[in-house]
Amino acid sequence: MAKSIDSYRFLEGISKRVMKHWSSLGTSREIPWTPLSKPLSRCIVALLSSAAVALKTDQPFDQDIERRDPWFSDPSYRILPRTASAGEVRVHHRHINPRYAEQDLNCVLPIERLNDLETLGEVAHCAPSHYSYMGYTLRPEALLAHTVPDIIRHLRQGQVDAVVLVPV
Amino acid sequence: MIPELTASVGAPRIAAIEHPFGLTLGMPGDAARQLEVLRSTLRALEEISQPGGVVHLPFEWNAAEKIEMYPPEPPPIVQYLRRHPWYFPRFLKRDPPETRAV
Repeated sequence: MAKSIDSYRFLEGISKRVMKHWSSLGTSREIPWTPLSKPLSRCIVALLSSAAVALKTDQPFDQDIERRDPWFSDPSYRILPRTASAGEVRVHHRHINPRYAEQDLNCVLPIERLNDLETLGEVAHCAPSHYSYMGYTLRPEALLAHTVPDIIRHLRQGQVDAVVLVPV
Repeated sequence: MIPELTASVGAPRIAAIEHPFGLTLGMPGDAARQLEVLRSTLRALEEISQPGGVVHLPFEWNAAEKIEMYPPEPPPIVQYLRRHPWYFPRFLKRDPPETRAV
């Protein structure tokens, strides 16, 4: 029998209640849809992680924003090259344990695994750049007005055909 | 991770997985699981033919695996709501105060 996942298995108490309620709020907007125009083996694929991953050589995500206003978090994004690995990054998301992803970046941004699929010919190319933002905010205006359009512009410039969004 | 939550914001295609938070693709060093999760997710991109389609990925999480899922320090909103419990209904409604409250 096909597996039906338990979305709330790893939550308890108030967190479970909040997530169930948020899930029920829904959206009135139409779901966007772009058909896949060619087989995956001919697609350029990029990754986008909500784990707030930044290169150690880049500006860190500002965790103090969330300390000052706990309804909000740093709405910016970072670009990660396809060569990025765990030793070169920090994970700034304040709602997860960053230990695992800082040990192996593929836990939240599977760049090496996408490179593997490129080598196997299952995708045409791993995009040269991947992206990360901080996936917690109840004030999404700046994220939607600036960060999302910027990331889309980068993806279009890179002729990316498909993006895998990796929630954490 | 929580496909109902992802669906509630209108994601066009969803590959649902029963993995702990912060371990979306699997445990550190488990390249085989990570590769299968990514491969299955990309396959869902080809399989889903309608907006909002959801594929439940077949991976089982080993309950015996000892993990520390929570951050070393509670997130600021948790600390804030402990001090200001009257804001909890607004948090539940995703309705933040107009002005920054701290």
